[in-house]
Amino acid sequence: MSISAISVTDLRKAYGETEAVRGVSFEVAQGDVFCLLGPNGAGKTSIVEILEGYRTRTAGAVSVLGHDPASAPRALRERVGIVLQECGVQHDLTVTELVDMYGRYYRRSRPTQEVIELVELTEKRDTRAKDLSGGQRRRLDLALALVGDPDLIFLDEPTTGFDPAARRHAWSTVQSLCDLGKTVFLTTHYMDEAQALADQVAIVNAGQIIASGRPHELGGRDARPAEIRFLLPPGVTLGELPEIPTQRCEQSDDHVLLVTAEPVLAANRLTGWALEHGHELEGLSIAQPSLEDIYLELTAATAVEPST
Amino acid sequence: MSFTGEGVAAGVPDDQRRETQRDLRRDLGLALWQIRYEQRAYWRNRQRGIFTFIFPLMFLVIFGSIYSGQSIPLGHHRTMSYETFFVPGILAYGVITTTYVNMAIGTALLRDDGVLKRMQGTPLPRWVYVLARIGSTVVTVLIMTVLTVGFGVVAYGVQVRGTTLPAVAVFLLLGTAAFTTLGIGITRFIKNGEAAPVIANLTLLPLTFISGIYFHGNLSQGLLTIADIFPVRPLADGLQHAFNPITGGSGFVGSDLLRLAIWTVVGCWLMLLMLRKPEGDRR
Repeated sequence: MSISAISVTDLRKAYGETEAVRGVSFEVAQGDVFCLLGPNGAGKTSIVEILEGYRTRTAGAVSVLGHDPASAPRALRERVGIVLQECGVQHDLTVTELVDMYGRYYRRSRPTQEVIELVELTEKRDTRAKDLSGGQRRRLDLALALVGDPDLIFLDEPTTGFDPAARRHAWSTVQSLCDLGKTVFLTTHYMDEAQALADQVAIVNAGQIIASGRPHELGGRDARPAEIRFLLPPGVTLGELPEIPTQRCEQSDDHVLLVTAEPVLAANRLTGWALEHGHELEGLSIAQPSLEDIYLELTAATAVEPST
Repeated sequence: MSFTGEGVAAGVPDDQRRETQRDLRRDLGLALWQIRYEQRAYWRNRQRGIFTFIFPLMFLVIFGSIYSGQSIPLGHHRTMSYETFFVPGILAYGVITTTYVNMAIGTALLRDDGVLKRMQGTPLPRWVYVLARIGSTVVTVLIMTVLTVGFGVVAYGVQVRGTTLPAVAVFLLLGTAAFTTLGIGITRFIKNGEAAPVIANLTLLPLTFISGIYFHGNLSQGLLTIADIFPVRPLADGLQHAFNPITGGSGFVGSDLLRLAIWTVVGCWLMLLMLRKPEGDRR
């Protein structure tokens, strides 16, 4: 049984008449990467900013590292690192100066040069913040969140606008944070990011959590039928295929999709038949529905009804 | 080892008090730490430097050349040079731009950029941060004062007298307090950084013209009555009195002091209103 770093029960947030968060509950275990997924306007930012202490909640119970973030106690802020979206710094100061300056606010801060090395800004350490590139600025954000050696780190869409290589790099940084035993609370709208990093995922839509669990079992994903895809060999028709247990079979041009609850048997029959007749099965793939499929399915099913 | 009941009872509050004192000392140390970085950032921004330092000096040169050789009758066959009149006025103007205008624009920009939000997420107490920004402004005011008065003394022979020096210091201090807090407080009414210079100058420039900073004696009583409500005139008038060669005694003008003090209270109140709201709920 692990201890919760964050515990949220029936959280609600209303802006005037509109209820942006409508009764959300979840737990984040210590040392886990927890990922909050959801489309824009789903209530993600409201939830995160309540946890970070930036916004007040309308109702519900929230505990972050044993504190109520609403009163934003200093003891809590000593142990939390926050990477916000598009949050500026004193841009006339250099990287070293900024890490130095922010580090002093924390009682147990990490050495400046060590933090700068960790985010790989050593070459830019004497550059002023305003002269950094977008990616370097994000790394500086991370450095300023890590300088206090926090137990819990909030990352709000940390790789938005990154090129693929930079994203992979950011992912490995997040993984290294986990290796250090930190708890990471991540928001993103990239499915592959959640897939790669998260121990637990919660999908939020229209102010409610519509699915949660480990990434591979989300929305009953592990129990879903598998999809087998391939290109029909030239001169062969669908009718010539052997007996294969399928729930559904689709064809468009040469592309064939078989949906089956018994992927092992189906694949065996299919490839056995192909070998026997000397056919190539170009583009053959067997896959469970992707997290993205599940996500789109779930968020579409609970599409926002206009509030009356 | 055993303690008597009395000893334990007396020991606990003592420990607490010591801890509170230690925390306070650490926070004041943090404020000094922050002032260093605020100053460093301040001087790296050229535009700000120009507004704070070049403008007052430029005004001194321009007015100096316009009114060169003219003098103001003081009665009893005594006169003072025009320079002796407008150097303290320009000093007041310098104090106000350094504090009020800089604070209003600076705070609005920090808020736009999200720096205020970032600071709020750190363990640095908000009051320490505000104290440090005010402290940094005081340092800038001191430097601006030395430059402006120094220029007046060297170029125009303006006299700084020991007897009225305490009055000069008190007016500078109170003026800085009033206009710094007003500058932070007014950002509550400023939507974004682009609107900040407009609003700051719109609220300031008309007042500088009717408060007797640039021109002596040709203002109507009506305008002066309006100017008397606002804090620009008390600061300018107080400094002008302290620099006036016929001012006797310590040179304190009580009514000016009182009005500046009231405006300081108003400024503090506006500032606290502005600071009370959490950053996230503000949008």
